[in-house]
Amino acid sequence: MSIGSQPQFWPTGQAFNPHHTALVIIDMQVDFCAPGGWVDQLGEDVANTRAVIAPIQDALADARAAGMVVVHTREGHRPDLSDLPANKQWRTRAHGLGIGDMGAAGRILVQGEPGWQIIPELTPLPGEIVIDKPGKSSFHATDIEDRLRALSVDRLVVTGVTSDCCVQSTIRDGFERGFECVLLADCTAAVETENHLATLDILSAFGGRWGRVADRAAFKAMVSAHV
Amino acid sequence: MSSSLAVPAFGSVDARPYAWPFDGQWSADDSALLLLGLQQCAVDALQAREAVLAARQLLLLAHQCGMAIIAARREAVEETLHEATGLATSELPVKPAAWQWARDIALPDDAMIVTHAGDNAFYRTGLEAALRAAGIRNLLIAGLPTDGLVHATQRAANDMGFECLAIADACAGTTPARHDAQLRITTFGNGLFGGVADLAAVRAALNPP
Repeated sequence: MSIGSQPQFWPTGQAFNPHHTALVIIDMQVDFCAPGGWVDQLGEDVANTRAVIAPIQDALADARAAGMVVVHTREGHRPDLSDLPANKQWRTRAHGLGIGDMGAAGRILVQGEPGWQIIPELTPLPGEIVIDKPGKSSFHATDIEDRLRALSVDRLVVTGVTSDCCVQSTIRDGFERGFECVLLADCTAAVETENHLATLDILSAFGGRWGRVADRAAFKAMVSAHV
Repeated sequence: MSSSLAVPAFGSVDARPYAWPFDGQWSADDSALLLLGLQQCAVDALQAREAVLAARQLLLLAHQCGMAIIAARREAVEETLHEATGLATSELPVKPAAWQWARDIALPDDAMIVTHAGDNAFYRTGLEAALRAAGIRNLLIAGLPTDGLVHATQRAANDMGFECLAIADACAGTTPARHDAQLRITTFGNGLFGGVADLAAVRAALNPP
């Protein structure tokens, strides 16, 4: 159940209750991690983000089998872009194809478009929570906190993309709100490996100030010990 | 508020990864300086006097130009946090005795003071509403630590749509490597979380030729 020198999966060391623990899968959308999506259309390499699909599928299977709460997030904006800050659109348009623009998989990061969908490998099941978020943090302008509280969820196992962006924002905000967060290092990735590794270092600093960094094997061991 | 310079608009800042702000529009009317965690305990723990002296110059400059000044500090709640979570606090305690502003920092009388419990100066503080009410859309951000209060707060501000600029030499990280990495992440993707510049670049923009 241990990973490296870390003695336990949860920083606080208390017992795992699958019904009060959520697996959070962040932004595994066509636009971020599928051929033909936005990142791919920009000519960026989606190899890093695609490499975590199978590990997340595995962790998701374990979470579902254990009866954990499952949360999927999707970054996206309303079709009229009324929830898109002007600077966010401007920055993305500098790449040549910005949020709201028409691309090969529909309008970039616009709700309802093909590119905005969660990739088929990780399609949510009926009853799982799906959070539509306009920002980087899953907690910004969403009802995720209310929905987790309603289910008495106070621990988050975090996966998805990208580690330096939306994953880091979600873990920081989760910490701020009192959720105990553990990131699965082999179930998250960034476009640039250097930023990914720096994120793991920062998030694991200070004995788990913002959360702990563990991996899929440690998660599997923790879950299987309680099934 | 000193508006003796009567500068109607500031020049663009030579920032990374783009000339800041994105739309070139900033003035004392719509911009504020946000100072984070400039408390003596943090200065001592991070050995960050150099960054604080840069922040002091930034403060004097911004105030002289008539910008709103906001100073946020973390409450001395780490001991409580430790009891509640069991997380290690060896690097963290903010003891009441060391809670005061850094000795090198003298805030103007009209500075807005924000007190927050965690890293994010926006969380449950009313800061966003106060900025919106004041018509602020651009934020210069400095303080301690880069990978703690500064970045957590800049991420929150960025999601809210504020155009943010971190002043690199007026910030210090928990390690130099984390400082550099966090600012590199800030500028990734043409500025996912805004821009980064040095004090000298801000000074140059505030004194256009």
